[in-house]
Amino acid sequence: MKRFKKPIYMLAGTMLLLSSCELTEVTNPYVTEDRFIPSFQSLETWLNGVRRQASVTVGTVVEFSELVSDNYFNNYTQSSKVFDNPEINYFDQDVANIQAAIHKLMETSRFGLEELIPLQDEDVSQQKAELLFYQAYAHILGAELYIGLPTEARGEVRSPNELLESAIVLLTEASSLFSETEDQAACTLLLARSHYRLGNLTEAVEFSREAITHPLSLRQVHYGTENGPSNNFQSYIFSSATNSFAPLPRLDFLDPKYFHQTTTIFEDEKPIAIAKAEEAYLILAEALVAQQNIAAAKQTLKDLLTNCVGKRPTTMLNDSKEKRNGGNRKDYPLTAASVKFDTESVTKEGLVLDRSLGNIPAYSVSGTHITLSDVDGAVTADETLYLIYLLRQEIFIAEGRRMTDLGIRFPISQREQLSNSHVTDKHTKAIIPDFIPKNRGLDDFTYDTASGVVTIKHDMNRILVQHKNSPYIMPFHK
Amino acid sequence: MKNYLLFIAGACLWNGSLAGSTPVSIPVSYIQQGKDNSLLHAIQQIAERNGKKLIYDKEILTGKTVHPYDDELPLEQLLPLVLSGSGVGYQLKGDKIILHKVATTVTPVTRAVAQQQEWVNGTITDHRTGAPIVGATVQLVSTNRSIQTGVQGEFKLPLVAATEVVLLRVRYIGYKTKDVTLTPEQLKQPLTITLEEDLFGLDEVVVTGQGLDMNKRRLSTNIATVSGKELEKIPAARFDQLLQSKLPNAQIRLTGGQSGATSIIRARGVVSAFKNSTPVIYVDGVRMDNLNTASTIGGGSAQGSGVSSLADIPIDNIERVEYVNGGAATTLYGSDAANGVIQIFTKKGGSDRTTVTAEATIGAERATTDFLHFDRTKELLFEPGMFQRYNVAVNGNSGKVGYSVTGAYLNSSGVQVFKQNQNKRIDLRSGFKAELHDKVTYESSFTFVNNSYKRNRNGNQGGYTGLWFTESGASATTGPQPRFNPRLDELSDEEFAKMKEYVHTAERLQDNEIVVNRFQTSQSFQYRPMQNLNIKAVGGIDYRVLRNQAIQTNEYLTHTTGNLTTDRGNINNSERKYWGLTLELNGQHKADIGDLSIITTLGGQLFRNEDRQVAYIGSNVRDGARNISEATTTSSNEFYSEVVNYGVYLQSNLGWRNKLFLDLGLRGDGNSAFGKDIGVQYYPKIGFSYIPSTESWWSENLSFIPSAKLRGNYGLAGNFPPPYRNLRTMTFPSYLGSQAATFGMPGIDLRPEKTNTLEAGVDLGFWNDRLTLSAGFYHAITNNALFSVPAAPSTAENEALRNVGKIMNRGLEFSTQITAVQTENTALRFNLAVNTLDNKVLSSSGAAPFNIAGFSERTIQTVVQEGHPVGFIRGSYGEFGEDGVMATSTPLQYLGTTIPDLFGSMGFDLQWKGLNVFANADYQQGAVANNWDSQFRYNYGAGDEGIPTGEINSEYGRTRWLSFTNMFIEKTDYIKIRTIGATYTLPKSAIGSFANYVVIGASVMNPFSFASSSFDPEATISGSAEGQDGATTGGISYATYSAPRQFLMSVKISF
Repeated sequence: MKRFKKPIYMLAGTMLLLSSCELTEVTNPYVTEDRFIPSFQSLETWLNGVRRQASVTVGTVVEFSELVSDNYFNNYTQSSKVFDNPEINYFDQDVANIQAAIHKLMETSRFGLEELIPLQDEDVSQQKAELLFYQAYAHILGAELYIGLPTEARGEVRSPNELLESAIVLLTEASSLFSETEDQAACTLLLARSHYRLGNLTEAVEFSREAITHPLSLRQVHYGTENGPSNNFQSYIFSSATNSFAPLPRLDFLDPKYFHQTTTIFEDEKPIAIAKAEEAYLILAEALVAQQNIAAAKQTLKDLLTNCVGKRPTTMLNDSKEKRNGGNRKDYPLTAASVKFDTESVTKEGLVLDRSLGNIPAYSVSGTHITLSDVDGAVTADETLYLIYLLRQEIFIAEGRRMTDLGIRFPISQREQLSNSHVTDKHTKAIIPDFIPKNRGLDDFTYDTASGVVTIKHDMNRILVQHKNSPYIMPFHK
Repeated sequence: MKNYLLFIAGACLWNGSLAGSTPVSIPVSYIQQGKDNSLLHAIQQIAERNGKKLIYDKEILTGKTVHPYDDELPLEQLLPLVLSGSGVGYQLKGDKIILHKVATTVTPVTRAVAQQQEWVNGTITDHRTGAPIVGATVQLVSTNRSIQTGVQGEFKLPLVAATEVVLLRVRYIGYKTKDVTLTPEQLKQPLTITLEEDLFGLDEVVVTGQGLDMNKRRLSTNIATVSGKELEKIPAARFDQLLQSKLPNAQIRLTGGQSGATSIIRARGVVSAFKNSTPVIYVDGVRMDNLNTASTIGGGSAQGSGVSSLADIPIDNIERVEYVNGGAATTLYGSDAANGVIQIFTKKGGSDRTTVTAEATIGAERATTDFLHFDRTKELLFEPGMFQRYNVAVNGNSGKVGYSVTGAYLNSSGVQVFKQNQNKRIDLRSGFKAELHDKVTYESSFTFVNNSYKRNRNGNQGGYTGLWFTESGASATTGPQPRFNPRLDELSDEEFAKMKEYVHTAERLQDNEIVVNRFQTSQSFQYRPMQNLNIKAVGGIDYRVLRNQAIQTNEYLTHTTGNLTTDRGNINNSERKYWGLTLELNGQHKADIGDLSIITTLGGQLFRNEDRQVAYIGSNVRDGARNISEATTTSSNEFYSEVVNYGVYLQSNLGWRNKLFLDLGLRGDGNSAFGKDIGVQYYPKIGFSYIPSTESWWSENLSFIPSAKLRGNYGLAGNFPPPYRNLRTMTFPSYLGSQAATFGMPGIDLRPEKTNTLEAGVDLGFWNDRLTLSAGFYHAITNNALFSVPAAPSTAENEALRNVGKIMNRGLEFSTQITAVQTENTALRFNLAVNTLDNKVLSSSGAAPFNIAGFSERTIQTVVQEGHPVGFIRGSYGEFGEDGVMATSTPLQYLGTTIPDLFGSMGFDLQWKGLNVFANADYQQGAVANNWDSQFRYNYGAGDEGIPTGEINSEYGRTRWLSFTNMFIEKTDYIKIRTIGATYTLPKSAIGSFANYVVIGASVMNPFSFASSSFDPEATISGSAEGQDGATTGGISYATYSAPRQFLMSVKISF
């Protein structure tokens, strides 16, 4: 008996030894949140993370909303195959990914404000202001792109107007904390934009007038370096060899807005503007049209061209590799062609470039084919309004703004709906106004190679003006 | 956790003490004891059973008792055993047994004889054919001492000490184990022991899932055993291929024909949506690296399809393989075994005469071109290859030490042009067994494998790949200007010559190589302090280092992209180092109490794995450089993962009269990947086994079914979550060269997913077991299944694993073996296995669907979604109007399951004297896959692929190729003949004294495929599983090579 028990104890003893010794411990190569928060320079590192997130979020928004709009057509197999239609379903992963990108910016800036700022001993007002600025910007993106969004994890859905009201509060505080003029100017531009979108004409004019006192103010998100973040849109329109995204032929001369001129792509990735003075001029002009002050509106547009757009940088670029040959459409004009904005329009020259002939001008901030005389030519309110929306389209191309101007909004994603009880069926349907053509009509054109004339199927700016009273567009015309 | 372990250990101790207080007796098979243990009663029973009359003088038996004995032994063996030491002798005369007093005292004489008799020797032969059995194990039951029979079936085993009787146990896989009790008189003569073939396998001894040895009769679960002899017939180059068609209830599919390709192995469905279905593999009790998908840092040529760790598991010197397929059978493996366990046992000794066996296999390899779309692809991408494999094995036993050493070299030139899939492999292995003490045995095995192979680009690797260019029609959009007509068979000879030159250059310029060095060892000690207690300690490691190098030269890039490239040559290296440690300690106690026999096993097991991966990449490398120190810029990356799992288990198998058994077990596990509030995880099991054929009512009424077993059980087995996913972490991406921080893993308290299996079955042997049938059903539910749940966007959390799923698998399992002919010289057997499978995700707790393989959402994916099978194909469903133009297209639709609902294997084996002819095949039905090559061909205009001409001629042309993916779904029913072979053992007269034996063989691997799909239904890029060790079900056929055909000859000589 005694003899029998011995090995059993030995066995149990060995097992206990195994369970208690180092054999059960593992090395964790990751930094846990608990360890990170109190660590050295955590706020600075986090702020970099928020800046990075801003770049990533803007990159995502630009990629997909440009496809939804009439600006760009996806001529390749990567990225969304249906936004061009436009077909926007709440179960589409891209819809969820864009929403997630916005929430990530919102939540990372909130984490900085709530978890890290209070732990700091020294003056961190500049960091706080920057975090507030990005949080506000996330709210603006939500308001402009979505039918509504929660602002807390699985929280209530807030309407675009509520999101904009929050953005205004955040921007006001940020502006009061910022010490640098250019930072304050960026806040002012976003305040003007928020009020514009809310239809608050008086406040929008007030902030726009303040903003154009700095006619070249510009706030961008940045890209580059080997480990990113990368400007995917630049890759789609220029850097990748596949010529994936193609602009509407009447916007051909504005492409590419982002490009590299170095051997290694990541050494030259262009920033994307999120606030620029041009917008203040355009808001002001639109407000003046709404007030039937056409002359002042036209003067504002002239100021825009002279004081602002005309002074933005232009680069002479070799774009001879652009063949617009991603695969889905093979009839993009590659040599200089005349363009008719729709079948009714007169032909215009110089909008489609022959890139094989030599360097072309590239506008990395703003460009337009509208001249002072074009502005002079506008007589009626509608003609001026048409010009404003054409200018908005050309100036903001590749910045993810056009989809909002077209009145299109994303639905809240199925991924959100599945675990957020506040999301109802009405939140899961996209807004695509009736005047938006279907079946890739936004990007459609015909190219008569014999006569060298490209005819765009729909002049969307004309259609917008016709529907200016639609609740989805032109907020001052209600 | 530690307190729990203390508690469990305490409970085990209590149990051990209880067991210890029961009477202990020598374990002998076939014991049937009555309550009356008088010698008289025993002799009366024996006489009665054998139909003899007993004649005796009562006095000589008075007061004498009997030891336990096996009443199924022949009378001639039984009587001396029962009477030994009693002072009673016997005579057999006709139908009478005459007992008489022995004049002299027996014991001292026996001792004297035993002392002189230091050896027991004899020959083991096959009962049917009379042929010697080579490699049978002869064990002295009182110790762990054993020896293997030599080439003439001979054995010579030293005896330990003077004993009155000696119990020898002779076993050989596929034969009934025989216990032979020998009196001192019998020991004087060389013995001839015959073994009968065991077609039913009721008394086969197995280990896997039991802690230590257990008789199959006692098990409530099914364990498949494959003998080394059976495996030696198949000239496979890798372990999983060796087992193809060999495991009746498992399916093994190689997902590509290139060396090192991953495989899909699954038995009872797909129990997990996060973890690959590959079973855990043990070699001699040591857990192996079983990664069967691409690794996290795959790098280089692993990008298109993963490199499988199964490809370099040693295949030499295998004694037997055991396979348990989950449920109660793997409960003792706890959190690690929901996919089942394969255990390889290696040889560790031979006969007392050293034998040297040399084998050479050589032959031709030819590409399997059955599934190529264009006839001319063959000429572009394939060439004939050659296969050679040489193996030398030395086995022997010297006194108390047994040894088994092998070395093998394999060289397969592959069938792809420019030997771009050449495979070279060196295997070295040694196994030792030593008796350190009469109660302690030591076993060890060491293995080293060096495997290096080339890989040309394949699958979704981006840029040029040979099959994409030719078979998918990509020559229409890439390659030299002007582009080729992608319809290869329509090209003029001149154009084709141009294309051939282009493709051959592109293939020749590829330079991808994978090198694996793998070392593994298992060390074990068995201590038998007393007859009924066996304690075993096993420790071992598996260390596997893989280097994957892909070199792209500027010449290659210039050639394949058509753009002059001077600064983009690159070398992409990745290395994965896997280090796994396994420690296991267990004890098994056997007790017999009257009609009750109890086998109690208590053990503890720990394994820890470290997986370190690095990538080191050189860019702008000069052509010709093979080292990134020559690169203009370099970059690197790292991945590290470490996990430890530890548990204790207790199992009790209660037997009543050797016919009714109750199996109880419990394992408790801790694991570093569990959430901190999860605690110990328990895995219980309960089962029964009943052998009705031992009942008299059975043998009286159902004598044509001499063997029968009923079994049923319920048990749990788990899959632990991947390491670190339970932590709430930060991640640090770069922002313009500066450090940035953002949210990492959200910190979910993860627990293992647990598969609860209820199963029942019946095993029957008809007509002397000439027909055996095993039938059963199982119903398995995986609770807390780990689903990769995309978080609600508003949480800003990253996608994370959560225990939210519930997966069902259920099915019927049948296997049968028919011995059609069985004479002295001839045996003809057929085997067939049929399995059904019903797989469904019962619940995802509202979580969004997620994909486990495939491309982007709007192309083609295999997806996990509530209400559908795991990994179903999701894509756009398009319908065409009467004009042949697509009328509607609905995205993200269910297009069919990738999991077959019927699968199995079949084979035959004919033996006539020295000739053995065999073949095996496997099949599946009920699954579909997407023909992505065909979809590309449509897109690129390389074929119309059955799409209505209305659509092709419409304004949309071929642009809507992704809108009717349903048109590219094909059934993947198939029957594949894996091997047809023959061996012939030359008659002794033909070889004389030149060698002990000579076997010549010929075989064809993968000779025939019958498939409903136009593509190879097996070659479905499982390497594209999402993430390391991710679940995959295949389902997409895209630019993947089929396994080649091999025509091989072999000669095996033993000296």
